[in-house]
Amino acid sequence: MTATVPAPAARRVFGVLGKKAVVPWLFLAPGLLLALVFKFWPMAKGIWLSFFDVRPFLGDQWIGLDNYTRVLADHRFQDAIGHTLVLGLGQSLGAILLGFALALLLEGQARSLKILRTAVFLPAVTATAVVGELWRLMYYPTSDGLLNSGLHLLGLGPVQFLDNPDIALYSTMAMGIWIWAPYNMVILLAGLAGVDRSLYEAAAMDGVSLWQRLRYITLPAIRPALMIVLTLATIRGLRVFTEVYVLTGGGPAGSTDVWMTRAYTLGFTRNDIGGASAASVVLLCVTLLLTVMVNYLRKRGEAR
Amino acid sequence: MRDRRRSRRPAALLAAAALAFGTAACGSGSGSARNDDPNTLEVWTRSNPDPAATYERVFAAFTKKTGIKIDYQPVINFDQQLQSRASTKDLPDVMINDTALMGSYQGQGLLKPIDPASIAGHDQITGKTWSSTVGIDGKHYGIPYSRQAQTLMIRKDWLQKLGLKAPTTWQEMLSVAKAFATEDPDGDGKADTYGMVVPGSAQNGYAAWWGASFLWQGGAQIIEPDGKGTYRAAMDSAAAVHTVTWMKDNLFCGDNGVTQPGALTAVTSTATNFQDGNAGMYMTGPYNIATFDTTPGKDKYEVVPAPAGPAGADVLADGENIYFGARTGKTKQEQALAAFLISPEGQKLAMTGKNQPVVRIPVNSTLDAAKVRDDARWSVVQKAYEDASQQFPNAPDFAPIKQDTADALNAIFTYCGGDVRSQLGELNETLAGDLKDQDLLT
Repeated sequence: MTATVPAPAARRVFGVLGKKAVVPWLFLAPGLLLALVFKFWPMAKGIWLSFFDVRPFLGDQWIGLDNYTRVLADHRFQDAIGHTLVLGLGQSLGAILLGFALALLLEGQARSLKILRTAVFLPAVTATAVVGELWRLMYYPTSDGLLNSGLHLLGLGPVQFLDNPDIALYSTMAMGIWIWAPYNMVILLAGLAGVDRSLYEAAAMDGVSLWQRLRYITLPAIRPALMIVLTLATIRGLRVFTEVYVLTGGGPAGSTDVWMTRAYTLGFTRNDIGGASAASVVLLCVTLLLTVMVNYLRKRGEAR
Repeated sequence: MRDRRRSRRPAALLAAAALAFGTAACGSGSGSARNDDPNTLEVWTRSNPDPAATYERVFAAFTKKTGIKIDYQPVINFDQQLQSRASTKDLPDVMINDTALMGSYQGQGLLKPIDPASIAGHDQITGKTWSSTVGIDGKHYGIPYSRQAQTLMIRKDWLQKLGLKAPTTWQEMLSVAKAFATEDPDGDGKADTYGMVVPGSAQNGYAAWWGASFLWQGGAQIIEPDGKGTYRAAMDSAAAVHTVTWMKDNLFCGDNGVTQPGALTAVTSTATNFQDGNAGMYMTGPYNIATFDTTPGKDKYEVVPAPAGPAGADVLADGENIYFGARTGKTKQEQALAAFLISPEGQKLAMTGKNQPVVRIPVNSTLDAAKVRDDARWSVVQKAYEDASQQFPNAPDFAPIKQDTADALNAIFTYCGGDVRSQLGELNETLAGDLKDQDLLT
């Protein structure tokens, strides 16, 4: 199959553009190819399938927007929107705040700080399934559980962290913050490293308070890093899946069901691939919209 | 500058397209090579490593006997993998998976119809067992392979210590559970034991799977055939309301400790309290016998029939069928494998050995589970299967029905203040919708 490269056409194009124009694309080709095969093609297929009643062996049936109306009218999906927003927002903001606090605390060159930073970063590189199992143990709903034994010492509890439908979503959120804060910390640390030291010195001479230093020097200086963190967190927050799936599976009583766990159940427990594709496409559109919006706000902010 | 940038685009597209076509061609080439060998069957089972070892032994014996090779794939997330294989229109040749999935697979066109007479030794499977593989159109879509019924596993030593007997009714079961939770049966002076283990999560429909036995015992049904080939949703019956209310009030919203902590988010793999030795009862399938013989230990527990409810002691029966993937073109070899798997030799191999057995109650009527294993506990399971069990209806696509029932039961057991009758009424409407989607509603 190596002959598929249309040699004459390619030569003509290469001739017109010259070597210089082609070489960068050749270097990009492996990455592009991987993206095409593993990202863009499945994505296009997903969008295509969302218009069908998918039955690979009986012939897919075109049903237009039926999948979309079914998904959007399903009250469990509607509930999931609320959970996704609460979890996504809480988890993103919590992880950014905690990540920022960690970055401020752990910024510096000392060896002890390096070790600490590595230790703090560990949650971000641990498999989410493992983290989920760990937190299940910590959340164990009797005084044998780590958190509950702590509460027990204070004369409180035991708290049903995962089995109480009013608390389960927040328990999941806490785990999400724990996972993602160190990740944000690393990006923010890079931002902090770029802050002009002379500004701090000048501020110290002017005798500003800690809060003023943060507000008028640190935050404006790390704004680009913050924006990256915010964009990433928005996207991640909306398509949250693994954290919920490994910790509660969407339960109890659907109280932690988010958009993606719903789509997963629809696709793989109920074998409704068309509906699951439609749900995923809706999420894709919303994510795209939000990303564009964050970008727009950032550009407007920069221009100002 | 701008013009130049624009003119680069076609070059990039061309290069990318050419590369993509190249790989696509390679991909399909290598994919079909494996399946082209007519003398190799690709076989999938939904198995963890331990039962997979048993399957490997069975398939090795088959290859030795017939010369047909087996490309065996134990798959844990079976249905997810199967969906992605189905989307490539290249199914495994033979699949061994749950009986309750037959309607779902058949509805998607994933299965070949099967003529029982074409399978050697088909007459050693009883008519009743064969009837459980009839699809919605009256044809068979599976070959029975293994059957089982739920029984109650109970800690013998705890009963003795507290001077109790194994329960035979719901009421007795409840008092035993309370005693296990409060009277310190493990004697460590701490209140760290629980009555019974419940995998009560809605994930994968576990709440419905575990709760089904209680529904049958309370005289309730999830859906009912009306004798004309269609079904009606039946979860709003008085029996269903009564049963679910009893379960909610006594097992989930009553005294602490009757069920293990975290029951409502537990699936079978996380509900390990019986092995861990802190829960005294577990209503479950007999595949766990091998596991429980190691921990808590063979001498520590016994296998008894499920306690009876107001309408009897029927438990959920299920099991595995052998399915032939649609359009695989190796029918002869597949039939040979099926004939071996249901033969006394194939069934015995799968029932014994040091790993988890993959045939629990043999479908081959010439075999006796307790005799083959030389273990009287298996006769309890076989008796439950033969005399007091009901399966999920096999003809409709039961997957959405089971999932919706599990969602509703999990919610009812979670919100203790809810109104069971209206919640079950809502479930019933959802179930009617599921049946309507399949054109099966009365």
